[in-house]
Amino acid sequence: GSCRVSMSMAEIRAGFTAIKANIQSRDPIRTLSILSHPHSLHKLKPSDRCCITHQLFTFYVDKVFKHCRTEDSFVNRKISSIANSFLSASRKLGQCREQNNCVCGEESTEKFKQILANYEGLNVTSAAMKSLGELDILLDWMEKSR
Amino acid sequence: GDALLPAPQSISILSTNMKHFLTWSPVIIQGATVRYSVEFQGEYEREYANGSWIPISECSLTTATLCNVTQDISASVPYRLRVRAELGSARSPWGTTEGFFTRAMTSLTPPQLRVLADGHHLLVELADMGPSFQFHVLYWKKGQESRVQQKVTREVSSVVHLDTMEAGAEYCVKAQAHVEAINRSSSFSPTQCVRAQGDTSLWL
Repeated sequence: GSCRVSMSMAEIRAGFTAIKANIQSRDPIRTLSILSHPHSLHKLKPSDRCCITHQLFTFYVDKVFKHCRTEDSFVNRKISSIANSFLSASRKLGQCREQNNCVCGEESTEKFKQILANYEGLNVTSAAMKSLGELDILLDWMEKSR
Repeated sequence: GDALLPAPQSISILSTNMKHFLTWSPVIIQGATVRYSVEFQGEYEREYANGSWIPISECSLTTATLCNVTQDISASVPYRLRVRAELGSARSPWGTTEGFFTRAMTSLTPPQLRVLADGHHLLVELADMGPSFQFHVLYWKKGQESRVQQKVTREVSSVVHLDTMEAGAEYCVKAQAHVEAINRSSSFSPTQCVRAQGDTSLWL
């Protein structure tokens, strides 16, 4: 089967674009990447795409957004908007996995392990801010692989 | 202190065409200007951020009894909103919306449109309803109701070409608004009909 999830990419993209510069300015470590090290998401096989998307959405909901609270009300509101959109989408993807339409292959499992290792290699606030700052990498990959 | 200042009452959300407003009744204190502050909470905040609430800066210490929460109700999850009164250093208890609000609960009105015949061309102009909207436009030659055609468009406030009409024939148009984010549509607008320009060639 296949897994089709409706989500408002334009709304998420608009929310992120509004705070991207602010978030990325809080990430001092420019030489490291959470999502793209050592390999880009674009290298993943199409069959693994659904699984890694679900894993990444769950990763952002469980680990990232809660450590990104700032002193800026506008930024916090946009983060909330993205977080709630991710929660809504990850729920739908979860249903796909329950119906076995979103199988996890070896590649996506390996890739997600690497992302978690990159994340846990930094202190939690830096890791969370860096991950949030890389959201456009995820959004670009999702839109290219639609 | 706080006990003197009652929480705002009659708190409700008015939502039409994906524009969401929180309203409440004023707290009346003779000779004083009471101000209000509004906060929101999405499902993410309830389940992953310790039930935290997020202030809406445009509605912090406002004297209005209305707050535009459209920018913050921006995901398809259940939200709660709350408002309290403030007078000097006194704060009232929070008044919170009854139940949850999901943007899919918004009421959708039919689009406003203007149908034009420009010579043989059937044109339509749709009023802007906001970034979330697209329009399903149905059009047909009068008398041929079984051969309805459809055009989906996001174009607003400018003329959209629907069809080239037969000389002198009458064509009818109606449209509905659709919001992909909530997968819902409005009812159809009233039907509007126009007549194509007659044939100007003369048989001699």
